[in-house]
Amino acid sequence: MPPSGLELVYLENRDRLVRFLRARGAGDVAEDLVHDLWLTVSTRSEGPIANPVAYLHRAADRLMIDRYRSRSQAEKREQAWEKDREGENFMMPTPEREVGARQEAERVVAVLNALGDRKAGIFRRVRIDGVAQRTVAEEFGVSLSTVEADLREAARALITLKDAFQ
Amino acid sequence: MSALGRAGTTEYVDAEALDWALRMAEPRADWDAFLAWLEADPGRSARYDHAVSLLEAATDMVRDQAFSPTVSNHTSSPSPVRRHWIGGAVAAALIAAIGFGVWHERDRSYMVATAAGEQRAIRLADGSSIALAGGSRVRLDPVRPRSASVLAGQVLFRVRHDASDPFHVNVGDLELTDLGTVFDVRLLGDQTHVAVAEGAVMVDPRGPKLRLGPGQSVTEVDGQLRRSQQDAADVGAWRDGRLSYDDAALRDVADDLSRQLGLPITAAPAVAGRTFNGTLEMRGLRDDPSVLGALLGVEVRHEGSEWILDERR
Repeated sequence: MPPSGLELVYLENRDRLVRFLRARGAGDVAEDLVHDLWLTVSTRSEGPIANPVAYLHRAADRLMIDRYRSRSQAEKREQAWEKDREGENFMMPTPEREVGARQEAERVVAVLNALGDRKAGIFRRVRIDGVAQRTVAEEFGVSLSTVEADLREAARALITLKDAFQ
Repeated sequence: MSALGRAGTTEYVDAEALDWALRMAEPRADWDAFLAWLEADPGRSARYDHAVSLLEAATDMVRDQAFSPTVSNHTSSPSPVRRHWIGGAVAAALIAAIGFGVWHERDRSYMVATAAGEQRAIRLADGSSIALAGGSRVRLDPVRPRSASVLAGQVLFRVRHDASDPFHVNVGDLELTDLGTVFDVRLLGDQTHVAVAEGAVMVDPRGPKLRLGPGQSVTEVDGQLRRSQQDAADVGAWRDGRLSYDDAALRDVADDLSRQLGLPITAAPAVAGRTFNGTLEMRGLRDDPSVLGALLGVEVRHEGSEWILDERR
C-alpha cells in the first residue's frame, strides 16, 4: 500500500521531529518516541488535516507534556506514600471536602469577577472554546495585544489561586 | 530555585514560559520559533512543561466552575464591550453567561447558534466537539454534558466514546445514541437526516433501534425511516464547502443554501416541490448564485437582495 498523505509528511519531517522531541527534553529516547508518535497519530481517526507539519509538531509537543504529567503525578504519589508512612497524611472527612470544593468554586468565581467580563470572557473563549486569539480580538473589538495581555493576566490570577488551594 | 519546583508556598509563575504555553496553544502556532527558543537553553523545555500544566489546571478550574451547581449567582450588567461581541458571537455570550451564573434555577441549558453563512466549531466539556453549519442551532445542557439537541441546520458531531456513558443527540423526532465517533445531523424542511462517517450510531434506541455504520445514513419524514448509503468521506463535507442532497425539495435546498451561504435564496411555488439529487460546491455559488440555474434546471432571478429560483421560460 502506498504511504498516505500524512505518512509522507511524517517521513519527510521525521528528522525534524526527532530534533524537536530532543529539544523538548526527550534526550536519547527521541528516536523511540518519534516512532510512538507515528503509531499514535496514524491510528487516530480524524478528518482532513489542514497543516500536517504543524499537526505532527503539536502531537509531539503533547506527547512530551503527557510524559511530564505522568512523571510528576508519579512523584506526587511517591511523596504521598512517604507521608503516609510517616503518619502525616490523613483523609479529610467527606463533608469537609465538599465544603472545600464549594469554597474553591466560589473563589474561582470571585477571581473571574475581579478580572471583569472582558478578561474572563477572553480567557474562556480562547482557552475553553479553543478559538484563535485573532478571532477573539475581533469578537471583542480589541487589539490582538490586548487579548494577549488579558490572557496573561487571567492565567496568572488563576494559577495563583490554584496554588493557594494546594 | 528549581524551575519545576515551588518557592515557599507560592507557585513560581514563569512569565516567559507561560507566554510560550499560551502562544503554542494557538491553532497557527509558530513551531520554528518555538524550536529556536527551546534549543537556545536546555532548561527551557521543562519550564514550558511546567507552565503548560499550570495553565491547563487553571483552565480546568474555570471549565469545572462553569458547570458547577454550587456557584453563587452574579448577574453582570451588559457593558458596551459586551454588546459589541454579542453581535459577533452569540455562543461566546452564552458561554460567558453560564460562567457568570445568569441561568434559570432549574433549566441551565443554553443555545449555541451560527449566523447564515458562518461555520463554527465548539469543544464540549467532555472532550467531544461539534461543528455547526451556517444558520444552525444546538441546545446544550451543562447538567447533561453527554447530550445535545439539534434544533435547526446541520451539525457534525465528533464524540468522545464512552460505552458506559453514551452520548445522546435529539434531532427532529429522532433520538440518537452514539456508539462511537463521527456523524452528521441535518434538519432540512420536514426531513431529518443522519449520516455516519466513523463508528456507529443507534437511531431511536427506544423505538425501531436502527444501527448505522460508516457510510450509512437514514432520512426520517413523518415518522418513516428510509435508509441510504453515502460515501463515508462525504459525511461532513459541508465543512469543505460541498453540500449534498438526496431527493430534497427545491424549497428545502433553497433554505439550506441560504443558511450555508448567507445569501437569501428562495424557490418560487412553481418549482418549490421539485426534487434534487446531487452535490453543490459552495465556493462557486457564493461568487455567482446564478450558476444554480444550470445545476438545478431552473431560472435564477436576482430581485433586490434576493435570489429566486423559478421555472424556465
